[in-house]
Amino acid sequence: MSKHTLRRRTMLQGCGVALGLPLLDCMGSESIATNRPKRLCAVYFPYGVVIRKPEETEAAKWNWFPNGKGTDFQFNPGHQSLAPLQQDVTVFGGMSHPNGRKMDGHDTADTWLTAAELTGGKLQNSVSIDQLVAMRHGHKTRFSSLVMSTDGGVGEPTRSSTLSFGRNGEPIPAINKPRLIYDRFFGHDAASAKQQRRQLQSSKKMLDLVLDHSRSLQRQLGKHDQRKLDEYLQSVRQIEQQVEQSEKWLHVPKPQVNATDLKLDADDSTPGELIRTMYDLMFLALQTDSTRAATYQIGNMNGATSIAGKFPQLLGFANKMHALAHGARKGVKGAEDLGRWDQFLTEQLARFLNRLKSTPEGDGTLLDHTMVLYGSSNSHTHNNTNYPLLLSGGQRLGLKHGQYLTMDSSVPLSNLFVTMLNRLDTPVDRFVDSTSEIETIL
Amino acid sequence: MLPIPSFRLSPAVLLLTCAILANPSFAIESVLSESDAMADLKAVQAILVSKCIDCHGADEQNADVRLDQLSTDLVSDPKGAETWHDALGAIQRGEMPPDDADPLTTAERQALAGWISEQLNRLKAARKATGGRVVLRRMNRQEYQNTMVDLLGVELNYTENLPPDSVSEEGFMNNGSALRMSALQLEYYLQAARRGLKSAITEGPAPEPFSHSASESVSDKKKDHWTTRLGRNGRFVARVPEFPDTGAFEIRVKAHAEIPPEAPLPIMQVQFGFRSDVRAPAKIVAVTEVANEESKEFVFRARLEEYPIQSRTQSKYPGMLIWIDNVYQDGKRAPKPVQIKEQVEGKKKPVTRLHYPEDPEFPKIVIEEVSFKAPVFASWPPKHSQDILPRQPDSLSDQRQAASEAIDRFLPRVFRRPIQDQERDLFLSYYDTVRQSEESFVAAMREVFAMALIAPDFLYLAEPSSQQHTITDDQLACRLSYFLWSTMPDPQLFELAKTGQLHRPEVLSEQVQRMLADDRASRFLDSFSKQWLDLAGVDRVAINPEYYPGFDNALKPLLQRETQAFFAEIVRQDLPATQLLVADFTMMNQALAKHYGIDDGPRGTSFQRVSWGPLSSRGGLLGQGAILMANSTGEDSHPIKRAVWIRDRLLDDPPAPPPPDVPDLDQDLPELASLPLKDQLKLHLENDACADCHQALDPWGVALDSFGATGLLREKIIRLNPKDRKKRLQHDVDDAVTLPDGTDVKGIAELRQYLVDQQSKAFARALSKRMLSYALGRSLEFSDEETVEQLTQQFIAADYQISELVRLIVCSDPFQR
Repeated sequence: MSKHTLRRRTMLQGCGVALGLPLLDCMGSESIATNRPKRLCAVYFPYGVVIRKPEETEAAKWNWFPNGKGTDFQFNPGHQSLAPLQQDVTVFGGMSHPNGRKMDGHDTADTWLTAAELTGGKLQNSVSIDQLVAMRHGHKTRFSSLVMSTDGGVGEPTRSSTLSFGRNGEPIPAINKPRLIYDRFFGHDAASAKQQRRQLQSSKKMLDLVLDHSRSLQRQLGKHDQRKLDEYLQSVRQIEQQVEQSEKWLHVPKPQVNATDLKLDADDSTPGELIRTMYDLMFLALQTDSTRAATYQIGNMNGATSIAGKFPQLLGFANKMHALAHGARKGVKGAEDLGRWDQFLTEQLARFLNRLKSTPEGDGTLLDHTMVLYGSSNSHTHNNTNYPLLLSGGQRLGLKHGQYLTMDSSVPLSNLFVTMLNRLDTPVDRFVDSTSEIETIL
Repeated sequence: MLPIPSFRLSPAVLLLTCAILANPSFAIESVLSESDAMADLKAVQAILVSKCIDCHGADEQNADVRLDQLSTDLVSDPKGAETWHDALGAIQRGEMPPDDADPLTTAERQALAGWISEQLNRLKAARKATGGRVVLRRMNRQEYQNTMVDLLGVELNYTENLPPDSVSEEGFMNNGSALRMSALQLEYYLQAARRGLKSAITEGPAPEPFSHSASESVSDKKKDHWTTRLGRNGRFVARVPEFPDTGAFEIRVKAHAEIPPEAPLPIMQVQFGFRSDVRAPAKIVAVTEVANEESKEFVFRARLEEYPIQSRTQSKYPGMLIWIDNVYQDGKRAPKPVQIKEQVEGKKKPVTRLHYPEDPEFPKIVIEEVSFKAPVFASWPPKHSQDILPRQPDSLSDQRQAASEAIDRFLPRVFRRPIQDQERDLFLSYYDTVRQSEESFVAAMREVFAMALIAPDFLYLAEPSSQQHTITDDQLACRLSYFLWSTMPDPQLFELAKTGQLHRPEVLSEQVQRMLADDRASRFLDSFSKQWLDLAGVDRVAINPEYYPGFDNALKPLLQRETQAFFAEIVRQDLPATQLLVADFTMMNQALAKHYGIDDGPRGTSFQRVSWGPLSSRGGLLGQGAILMANSTGEDSHPIKRAVWIRDRLLDDPPAPPPPDVPDLDQDLPELASLPLKDQLKLHLENDACADCHQALDPWGVALDSFGATGLLREKIIRLNPKDRKKRLQHDVDDAVTLPDGTDVKGIAELRQYLVDQQSKAFARALSKRMLSYALGRSLEFSDEETVEQLTQQFIAADYQISELVRLIVCSDPFQR
């Protein structure tokens, strides 16, 4: 057995995790370091941040974007939780999706990770970057991706409650219950491996027959309904793949993680616990290499129906998310009110990054092998330019941090995506409207 | 040719004219008022020419915007729509025309904005159009749950892992276009099917039941709060040492109440289960009032599969726990426990324990005995198993025969229609495969039926198209039962469909009557009222305890329930729907009566009809807590949300959404809090662009300002000073307004009377339209306008009887097409 493997196991147990060692195949090989999992994780919050002019001194203290530029920059007081991580992050200013600028202010959460133009009659989205990684590397882990949000499900186009979109731009439902994520990723099946294998084999046959049968039903339907049923047929085919994947993992027990510190019953009435638990589950999923692509939408921009709108109020902040964002340009009070909420969100992120950073992996840390993209698709509310964006981690994947880069607004955000994807072993020449890589972070 | 101002005859103008004249959508869609539409168009054209084209025309295209060549047919040219949309925003924000240009007059701005909004709405409707046909739609969570219970006969929670359903624009959760399918969804359908079938089809001989009873609570060494007497403190805990993993269980509680004179009833809550390794808390089995002062036995039943069960191998607490509490609350705090020293047998020194003194004023539950039994069944195999798989023979060949029979029996119920031979063969072929791999006949049959439960014929309300104009009787039976019962047809509907009688008008009317009288109709009444009136809005509001220190969040579902029960009462008692607007009663239970300050209200947990008495001026939807709270900020009323709610939900006249990037009222100025509401709202009217909409909007909500965020009447509006939250600012309620049509009304009493007197037709139309949309499971289109108009008239002619509206909808053309 190689030293690496042993160290990995001992280390994980130290963190309360006994791992099924999904790296089994490459055990003993020299290639462990190069084959080390490369992960992508993206976290989104709605409505933008405090952005005030520097001359409005008091209000500008609450600005989300740091002061200074390049390697010489300082976080504002509200974002000091990131100061110890300064060398592990890059803050981007000025970037956005050019397609997003053609869309309504509230429509762009859907395209944060897809760069699509969601306008016109069909409101057709396209694949998101996390799913590109999932398609390429998903077969190496028990789950190809982890998709989470506060509202759960898919929502509706332009107000989607998920960040992730599949190959054809179909929304992938987000899970919003911590306990369900826990059960899915770490819960133990009462059935024996033999029973499970038998069930998976039955499933394969069953899905085959259902697919055949559905096609004959489809022929009897009107055009409109045929399209609707396409969605079903596609889902059946996807599960068939999942079943194959599950079979491969039958011999590896699910990783055991300690649930004691997780608030698995947190829900929208306890937002602080909920957000922390979602981050914790994402951390555990990455740490145990249960998946390599994870997304988390803390809130969507559906002011009318999102259950996340009230979170700031429940936590004692001044107003609903949407109203905080609307007020942020009015007076010092407006900046402070949203600024405190921005600060809270940043602290949650910092906690997550610190956990990744304090978890050794190989001769580096988990953070070194995980790219974490954090941000929004509004600068301030309704404004689809100058996204607040922060990228962390991935230093062992070729990224360089410790900078605040103010980009020209002509640089599409897809350039960053391409730069990231190419270092996640998901090579792409272009992504939607990208023009080149961003070399300043290499 | 339209008249064109002579001083501006330019090629650009000609182009614009042509584009507008060539617009085909007007020809089709404005049947009702073609001349109106043309007049609007002319007006818009004239405005554009005089105020916009100079900078956005042939000569100049500022900001790359050129309006003269833009198509006015947004439906066939959605790209143009984006530009119109931007133009609308710029006009509404007052950015266009710019300061140095000739400004729009108020009338011009309204005409232009109104026309663009209307065209955009048409585009939106056209995007969703399905040619007036019902959309292939999957069952939503509630329908799936009910259908699974009806099919399998076992009450489990089949939906807990399913992703939340998407809501349609009208707020409905059964809209075919909005309900999507995904791999995750399907995966959990399969899981739920297997889980349900495992419980539903039993195998082998009858299991030996376990039973256990206790007349004393498990005791807590350090405190004396675990006891048989449940007052302000106190909890009864029973430990069940042995129990099976699956099957129905029964908890019997023998108890009586001790109720001080005038005191409300104590409320008993029974919880079961707990799992320490994954921190799964106990789940509630039942909540019920205890009214009896003599001994009485309460019997609760549920299934073990639904409860967190302690792992037998790794556990601190061997056995399962039953927890019984008195959850009645009077808002007062429990007194602090006192330390007492007790002599305990076997110990020399006295032991210190915390003692909880009893409150003689507080209603108590006294537990006499708690017993547990599992599994319980009336016969073996249980009926649900017999119904699905009546024969479980031993020989393989006989098994195949039994499989075929069971498929013939079960599949038509699953697919809600007769099945074809090749469908039976398909399922039999799967049986042949799994019978070889599965350990038993029953296990194989569970797999076969699981396949049926993930087939599209089950998950979707599929209506294969035929050449006929109307749908088949089977399909009609489904539409009926999903509309009124949110589940599959019952045997009688199936039978009427099978014999081809269902579509006959008199049969249909009879069935509607029968179905509405059935308990299952409450699913329709509750779902429809919840979604139509957006009662879920209550959950989106966080009540700020700084403003409402006494408010208990447990009231939120009760407030929603009040409105649902109120709607149901009006339907079931055949009261006119106008009583939704003006009524002298509402529905309450004990906790809600306390919230509203009704002294002689009902006792216990169930909802009863209560007269508002002297407060009867608040009777009707507008005075109900759920509506008022859902449209509040959690600290104060939100008059604009309340206004939008009235116009959208009650009058089907939703105002255009606000232009992007307008600040909320309460954010504008730091000193805003010190202004009375009307002065705050005046700020809207200072900006012409805002005033256009808000003049016709704000008054509707201001009239309800005598109600705060929790739905209680108030004389003063209290706000915390944002600079110093310990200081309070007070304003008098001023709810006198002038409605858009010039009518002066003061407060809720006059507003609701105005709605009944002046707006009852609009209200009847709104209710007809929303209910039709719910019944069809799709959004309405222009082609439905005629139906809506007819329904409205007939509904009014039937004295606003909702049961009659239901019947009219069922008999309408769209429902049968």
